[in-house]
Amino acid sequence: MQLSNIRRSFGSIHALKGVDLNINHGEIIGLVGENGAGKSTLMKIMSGFDDGFEGEFLVDNVPVKLGTPQKAQEQGIAIAQQELSLIPALTVAENIFIGGDHGPTVASLGQLSKMARPFLDEVGLENVSAKTLVNRLSIGERQLVEVARLIAHKPNLLILDEPTAALGESDSNRILEMVKRLKAAGKSVIYVSHRLDEIFKITDRCIILRDGLSQDSVDTKELDTNKLVSMMLGRELHSMFPPRDFSKNNTKNKTIRFEVNSLWPDRTLVPINMKIYAGEILGLAGQLGSGSGEVLAAMAGMHDTQGGSITDCYTQENYLPKNAKQAISKGIAYGSPDRKYDGLFLGRSISENLSSPNLKGISSKGIIQPQKERPLVEDIAKSFTIDLTRLAQEASVLSGGNQQKVALGKWLSISPELILIDEPTRGVDVGARAEIYNKVREIADSGKAVVIASTDLLEISNLPDRVICFYKGCYVSELVGEEINSTNILQAITNPENILLEDAS
Amino acid sequence: MSALEYSTSMSSGWLAKKITKENRVGFAILVVISIAFIYFAIATPNYLSVFNVKTIIRDAAIVGIMGIGLTFVTLSGNFFLLSMKETAALSIIVFAMGMSNDYGFIFSMLGAMSIAVLAGAFQGILIGLGGNPIIVTLGAAGILYGVASWWSDNLVIFFKRPHDAEWLGTGMVLGVPTITISFVIFAIIAELVLRKTSFGRQVYLVGANRAAGKATGHENLPMAIKTCIIASACCAFAAIAFSAQMSSAQANYFSSEFGSSGDLTILVIATVMVAGNSIMGGYGSVLRTSLGAVFISATDNLMVLQGFNSGARVLSVGLMIVLSILIFAYVRRDSRSEG
Repeated sequence: MQLSNIRRSFGSIHALKGVDLNINHGEIIGLVGENGAGKSTLMKIMSGFDDGFEGEFLVDNVPVKLGTPQKAQEQGIAIAQQELSLIPALTVAENIFIGGDHGPTVASLGQLSKMARPFLDEVGLENVSAKTLVNRLSIGERQLVEVARLIAHKPNLLILDEPTAALGESDSNRILEMVKRLKAAGKSVIYVSHRLDEIFKITDRCIILRDGLSQDSVDTKELDTNKLVSMMLGRELHSMFPPRDFSKNNTKNKTIRFEVNSLWPDRTLVPINMKIYAGEILGLAGQLGSGSGEVLAAMAGMHDTQGGSITDCYTQENYLPKNAKQAISKGIAYGSPDRKYDGLFLGRSISENLSSPNLKGISSKGIIQPQKERPLVEDIAKSFTIDLTRLAQEASVLSGGNQQKVALGKWLSISPELILIDEPTRGVDVGARAEIYNKVREIADSGKAVVIASTDLLEISNLPDRVICFYKGCYVSELVGEEINSTNILQAITNPENILLEDAS
Repeated sequence: MSALEYSTSMSSGWLAKKITKENRVGFAILVVISIAFIYFAIATPNYLSVFNVKTIIRDAAIVGIMGIGLTFVTLSGNFFLLSMKETAALSIIVFAMGMSNDYGFIFSMLGAMSIAVLAGAFQGILIGLGGNPIIVTLGAAGILYGVASWWSDNLVIFFKRPHDAEWLGTGMVLGVPTITISFVIFAIIAELVLRKTSFGRQVYLVGANRAAGKATGHENLPMAIKTCIIASACCAFAAIAFSAQMSSAQANYFSSEFGSSGDLTILVIATVMVAGNSIMGGYGSVLRTSLGAVFISATDNLMVLQGFNSGARVLSVGLMIVLSILIFAYVRRDSRSEG
């Protein structure tokens, strides 16, 4: 497939200003760029969802006009979108043949699952029965089923849009394995991801989009992280993560700010005890379902628990919030892992989003005081580098990175004492990522207690001052200082038996 | 009117942007509707007379006040109360019972309003606890109408004229009917509450995203209760005004006899929908509802003067609901498609 000088505008907005892209058989291309660089628009064009573009589009040297996803399918192009389109209440086999065009008209479930078998094997789901209901599968497995469905159409080119964004480490590896297998089978893959380590692991070549323009394509071998990032941003990014000073962060010199006592969130195996120090960033590491996210949610009153409490060591108050309202009144802020679900009011203005947790603070006798709301909102926007001129716009028009800044920034409105963030940068580009990390560090430096949970290994090994590792609903170990590195964390969150044995002896 | 309102409110920011293919279509439909409306308005004798315009607004008032209340429920993401007609029925039965037994206006009114508030709170609690609004309010509709009909033996309850509710039913202030003035006052207060108060902000936030509302400390339970009470109370007030005007009440007043366009609940829902309040919540205004009420009333009045029968008029209300949902869904989807 070959695209040259693709341009696309929406009204006065030029989403793509000239993109060249070609891909050979059996090649894996990494498509990278910041949020808003035009990746989504380009993918829509390549997969036939959008035909209002100018430029040349060749498949096997023949110009094509796609226009609909069906036509793209005929050309052998298939796309797996970020948001899954499986039907949870149907079986795996039924989902694979749901298009109806490549399956039999009438078939028993047994026949269907036999037919589905090869496709499942191909994506590495050998152990999953095709008769399983999709809602019984993990998100990673669902992602693989989604790809199996595409493969059933026998495409030559697969476009994968952030397939690992919502996945933990081991599920992500399954996806990467699958991509390698597809390549071995002679298929071409365009791989879109914000996780740069994955780009380096599997791609042959990278196409970098910036401001709607494609930079020259570069062999992945010739790239390193710094070079790739600077090509994406158009400037050097000195360091993604703010510096840590482990000597200063010696826990002995620090004051305990909060204590979590025997907190037992549902779906974890044992109660958790932990201390949270003022001025530190504590990281909770663990794969999806390890319980790290549940601990955070429980502390914010957003997850059911079997019991436990939080002690505010400054006021000696002991409590467990039952809902967000109580948590907010105690100065606890909770950034959820899914901003679209419960982190943002997409249809309302950015300004209303930012003040939403603290309507009490901006109103008097039930009337909203614009002279209180404006400065509050502008302060937050400034400190999170959100464009002040866009405050009246709907949050839905923002790119993913800016949306995340709004979703997190709104919590500054309550001047929280304890900031809990689950997945601080899911689906966020490198530029905004660095800004968010710096902001989180700044908040911690001001003496607040910050706890983050993350399945992103890079993030969890480089941002926090202290890391607590979780595995399958259990506390595993605590890492401090120089112990915090990706090897130690990976071992603790994937295969902690050794550590646990050592502790026992 | 919805078309006119739309074009004026959007023209500054909206036309300034490049108009894409799709929203040009939506805009064109609205322009066609406006032109057709203006043409028929001018072509119909007496339609634009001062007297007739006053009649139109007066007719809009009762349904409009109910619509204003219901707007709160819809904006907060709790869909509709399908029990508007029945709440109205029970309210006027209680009111007329009080009036005919000489309890006086104040007590009769308070009695009727309390029943409506209780009914609203009951539905609000069930919806807030997670009940499906359609099922809950349909069930409530059955209960309310059943009580009203059973209690009154489905008879017409008259109260003697002149009574101390005349001012509300047929009274005028400076030549303007009291009910018209009430409509305007309700609209202004409701619009101020939505725009200026923290309660109003919560209505929009919870309506825009219930999960995010919960996460920021704005639960739907109190929201559902409050908005359902507002809707039921507005409904009862307007129904009482209607009863005062008729000096009588019967449980099925609002089933088919009301006005000329048939079922009250459908009319009220049409009022909320026609001018583009989001059916999913989080977007819209009382201003839209008020204009919707006037637009429906104006169309109905036009059709009466043109000699259409009541079936054709009911049909037009149904068409308006369907068309407005289509047009606004189309226009709005496009205006926010690229992010």
